[in-house]
Amino acid sequence: MLREFRLLLHRPVLLGLVVLLPVLMIALLTGIFRAGIPTGMAVAVVDLDRSDLSRSLTRMLDAAPEVRVTHQALSLSEARALIVSGDVRGAVWLPAGLERDMTRGERPEIVTFYDNQHMSAGSLVARGARGAIDTALAGLRVSIREEQGEAPTQAQVALQPIPLQAHALFNPAFDYVHFLLAALVPTILQIIAAAGTAYAISLDFGPGRNPHDLVRRAGGLLPAMLGKIVPYTVVFLLILGLSDVALYGWLDVPLRGSLPLMAAGAVLFVLASQLIGALAFVLTRNMGTAASIIAVITAPAFGFMGLGFPREAMAPLAQAWGALIPGTWYVQLRIDQSLRATPVEISVWPVLWLALIALGLAGLTLTQLARLRRNLETAA
Amino acid sequence: MRAVWHAMRDELRAVFTDSQVRSILLVSLVIYAVIYPLPYQAELLRDVPVVLVDHDRTTTSADLVRRVDASEAVAISTDALDMAQAIALVQQRRAYGVLLIPEGFERNLLRGRQSPVAVYADASYFLMYQRVMQGAAVPIRQMGAEVEAGRLMAAGAGLEVAQAQVTPANQVEVALFNPAEGYATYVLPAAFVLILQQTILMGLALTATRRRRGTDHPVWLVLGRMTAWVTIYSVLLPIYLIVLPALYGLPNLGRVGDVLAIGLPFVLAAGLLAQCVAAVLRSAAVVQVVLLAVGLPFFFLSGFAWPVEAIPPLLNTLAQFVPSTPAIDGLVRVSQMGARLPDLASTLWHLWALTGALGVAAILIEALQAKPESVLIHQQQIDEMET
Repeated sequence: MLREFRLLLHRPVLLGLVVLLPVLMIALLTGIFRAGIPTGMAVAVVDLDRSDLSRSLTRMLDAAPEVRVTHQALSLSEARALIVSGDVRGAVWLPAGLERDMTRGERPEIVTFYDNQHMSAGSLVARGARGAIDTALAGLRVSIREEQGEAPTQAQVALQPIPLQAHALFNPAFDYVHFLLAALVPTILQIIAAAGTAYAISLDFGPGRNPHDLVRRAGGLLPAMLGKIVPYTVVFLLILGLSDVALYGWLDVPLRGSLPLMAAGAVLFVLASQLIGALAFVLTRNMGTAASIIAVITAPAFGFMGLGFPREAMAPLAQAWGALIPGTWYVQLRIDQSLRATPVEISVWPVLWLALIALGLAGLTLTQLARLRRNLETAA
Repeated sequence: MRAVWHAMRDELRAVFTDSQVRSILLVSLVIYAVIYPLPYQAELLRDVPVVLVDHDRTTTSADLVRRVDASEAVAISTDALDMAQAIALVQQRRAYGVLLIPEGFERNLLRGRQSPVAVYADASYFLMYQRVMQGAAVPIRQMGAEVEAGRLMAAGAGLEVAQAQVTPANQVEVALFNPAEGYATYVLPAAFVLILQQTILMGLALTATRRRRGTDHPVWLVLGRMTAWVTIYSVLLPIYLIVLPALYGLPNLGRVGDVLAIGLPFVLAAGLLAQCVAAVLRSAAVVQVVLLAVGLPFFFLSGFAWPVEAIPPLLNTLAQFVPSTPAIDGLVRVSQMGARLPDLASTLWHLWALTGALGVAAILIEALQAKPESVLIHQQQIDEMET
């Protein structure tokens, strides 16, 4: 095991892969999401009314944090072209005669168009425009009631007989960044832990290498293999730990759960990810093919974790495939224990699943090692 | 010309005789085409389960519950006695929201007072939060508008006047380009471009790490290889960008010619980037590990899923050197939004500029590698410091 640490220090490439690469990737992802919730989506206004009302609506749109008015379009087709070319994310259409029709009580239409192909940006436009127009209309309704002789506070209350109090559970600041990072960091680490472990093993067991020396010195194949895995478990856990210190300390992500449970989950997760790499390598004895297997399992793993599209809404086959991947359970555990403050008796399940996956992978790896030992003995 | 032809033939042979490269280019197509889209096949979230905590238990509260239940987005799944019980259900992921109707809801409404209700939505899932809020807010707002109009009419206003006063203007929201709000329609067109890039990078970088040193002029060597990539990807690119989306039933507004016009510089830039990656990392195994790790960051850097407005300027500048950044934006606009080439002139310039710059880099690499040993060793030291 000490030999492996020494090897790690003397091989800049290996050090780069298992230390520098994950740290860089985690830093990069944190950098991308550091700014928090996106604001200021560019929006065009198609103002065909050119009245006091339409100008004040435009001002209120611009004042909404989600959007800013960057273009005045003369027609809908011009607005559409701006959206298609990407200059704006949406457009608000204020029809001719808006102010007049409104005072006459003809209830004209105000239309918000938003780019829903870029869903995250588009939904911000819809939300921002809805809020701004609502506020503007509410102001109008209050002034009508005041003209009818109601007191301002009374008018305000009368506008909303059934006010909706919206609460964002587990995430009062509605900061989605925490959840993305809580899932992205393990996703990246899962890829690197699997591929890095396979690479480290290939340095001694790959084609053209001589594993006999290592096996003899370690006193057997199993100790030799453990010596190739455990040092990296320590390295990856350190990286995970440091990134968590950054995430929970520096970025102020709340931590409202059981630390021992999180720690147990982290150890099982790193081990299971590494065992994917180890198993892929001892199965194929070829780093290239092993990397392909690792890629198939770990590269699409993010989608199966359900951060974007929830797991519960997936087809059963997709749920089952996701359940076999360690990252799915570890991410669930992290989110449950850090943000959702889930009671321990519920959160024990993902940890048990992780243990089951790790055990299964270990069992498979052991049977492959038995085969490898026979091969080595006949070769020796 | 002959040199170009030889280089092309060598590259094609290298790609198709190396079983590993072949498997990356071809088998991965099948696997990724099946596995990546698997989570998104349900497309739309309907009837997201919501727990009801009704402390009022009157006909009016029952009316409100029925309206919320009838919305497409949510369904009232369980009746809980109190909030603690309801939150526990959300924590177990058996529901994603709670509708809380306080005691006195009906009485307050009848007395002409404000009568609030509360919705708690699970904000750990952005999409669920949106659906729950959407599903609850619209019917509650509707009911509120009816109550307000009713009160105005009771005070003597006519129906028309009352309605106009409650809703002076109708707000209409129109979702362009993905009107059904499908998640697969949203994410797959961009994901396919990224997968295509990652397989180009991996396959062609592997080929480059295993190549014998060429003897012809570097310019002809690089040009010949570029011809080889265009030959291979004239088959593979349409499969990724036209056949696969069609198989998954994604809407397609793009013209084949426009897709290919963006696809050509994209394939060339990605292939040339692969040469640079191979020159820096050199070992096939290292190339694979690094390229596996950068896939997801590349996707988020592209400004598609995470709006470019929110990406720090420095990282955004960095992202412009990755071919997938302009390619995802351009190809999504062409195929999903019906953009034509004149709309995307800057994207095309961007991709061709990348191709030019990376082409010069690839030729320099080739020239340096052809130099005598002493220079080569020096270069290796530089490379080692870089990695």
